[in-house]
Amino acid sequence: MTQMPRLTDARILVVDDERVNVVLLERILAPHEYGNVRSTTDAYQAAALYDELEPDLVLLDLHMPRLDGFGVMEQLQARISSDTFLPILILTADIRPEVKRRALAAGAKDFVTKPFDRTEVLLRIQNLLETRFLHLRLDRQVVREGQAT
Amino acid sequence: MWRRYGDAVYTLVTLAIFGFETLALGWLSLSFLLGRATGIASTRFEGVLLATVTSTASALALLGLYLLGYHFTSSLRDRWHGERLDHWTERWIGLALEDAPGEAAADAPAPRRLPRAAVDAVLSLLEVVKGDEGDRLKAVLARHGVDRWFLRQLRSGHLAARLDAIEGLGKARLPQALDPLLALLEHPKPVVRRMAVRAAAGTLATMAPEPGRDGPGGRFIQALQGASLKAGVAQESLLLLESRAGAVLRDLLAEPDLADSLLWVVLETTGRLGLADMAEDVARSTAHPDPELRAAAFRALQRLGTIPEGAQASLAAALDDEVDFVRVQAAHAAAFLPAEVALPALEPLLGDASWWVRRAAATSLARLGDDGVATVMRAAETHPDEAARDMAVQVLLEAGVLDPAAALLVKGVA
Repeated sequence: MTQMPRLTDARILVVDDERVNVVLLERILAPHEYGNVRSTTDAYQAAALYDELEPDLVLLDLHMPRLDGFGVMEQLQARISSDTFLPILILTADIRPEVKRRALAAGAKDFVTKPFDRTEVLLRIQNLLETRFLHLRLDRQVVREGQAT
Repeated sequence: MWRRYGDAVYTLVTLAIFGFETLALGWLSLSFLLGRATGIASTRFEGVLLATVTSTASALALLGLYLLGYHFTSSLRDRWHGERLDHWTERWIGLALEDAPGEAAADAPAPRRLPRAAVDAVLSLLEVVKGDEGDRLKAVLARHGVDRWFLRQLRSGHLAARLDAIEGLGKARLPQALDPLLALLEHPKPVVRRMAVRAAAGTLATMAPEPGRDGPGGRFIQALQGASLKAGVAQESLLLLESRAGAVLRDLLAEPDLADSLLWVVLETTGRLGLADMAEDVARSTAHPDPELRAAAFRALQRLGTIPEGAQASLAAALDDEVDFVRVQAAHAAAFLPAEVALPALEPLLGDASWWVRRAAATSLARLGDDGVATVMRAAETHPDEAARDMAVQVLLEAGVLDPAAALLVKGVA
């Protein structure tokens, strides 16, 4: 039986143009032993960092100059195969339903509204990572069963 | 090094131009001087020309140096401020997450005033965190007297200082700032009113709900009703209320003397926020005497995706409204009626005189399932009005019911 990876082994990519937000998220994650966190304040770097890190979770700001969160998701979707579950957690101050609908259609899986609560952020991250790892486990199981038959 | 995109190019181009001009004028000045020395430039006219050229060259050289110096020093300042900001951000994050105990201890000596970078850092963080972390940061502002300083600055005679204070209080979201901010909604300058209502809305969003007109929500509503704000500004402020928006919008809709302009804003915002549980409240405006408000109410219901039973009669009436933009919104909203009610109500609108009404009716019908699509198809084939047939074909094409070849065939049948 395959060992379920620990959540703290997860690779997390943070994309937010505000350095304060990036530092804050890193500091929130650090005490919970999420040791594999990469971040950028330049949305144009997101795709390259994705290729390099192959993250299990992306924390993404929606409103960024030059390339916004929707643009980043468009770039990422081109890299994610349709049968892969890559959770994207949106961090936004915009509460309008049409924005949420657009983000969900673009590939977002969950939202945290700014200003956010630390506990809420951690729980959402944990939930999304658990779902991600269950998907990965299921994928491996399907492959094994395919090989067995 | 450069503060904005394009700064480097701008500076280099300007320096190149100034440098070229300075060299050319310098060479000219030198030539004149040599000419004077050899007795060539000896007339009074040449003397004036020489002075003019020399002073212009000096001015350009000075300006070029100033430009370079300005960018150099400002980039140094920006870097220094950024470093200070990072330092203070780290410190405040430590405090907010309780990594640095003692900072907020009451017995620790407080500096007279926080440096600007420290205030900027704590305000930036307050835009991102709430809950216990946010409360700790707000305590820092109170301990260092930043809140009192901002509140004093609200009365400053300098507009820039006042706006700066409003912005700071908007980020800090301090409950004690709500009433001073609401008082600014009567300020004669629109920019002050706009920033104040935004800051007040953000502040109210974090405050505990208290029912009644004397509660924070009630005071906000009273101030909003008395303020002269553009519709977009009022709408933005209502959106900034976050989870408090629903309660405030419901109270506003219950106001007996709500101004038409504010009612329009409330209807639009309710629709945009998708507050479906407020459909009954919105429905009360569907029979408003002002056509703009009737249209806004139907647009809101359409965004909420529901038509309360009490609004069905006014919707049926609005489909025959004399104002075309009311008929348009009513036709869109009719898509959310039960199909057996919507189909006979929308079908006659396929031949409406207004292009927009025909389109709205056909679009809504196409959303009503097989019977609706069949109605549009029938109109495409047999409607006596060519405009109605064209619209029906267009909508069926857009809905993917017809392909272009089939559309041509249907038109041929017609």
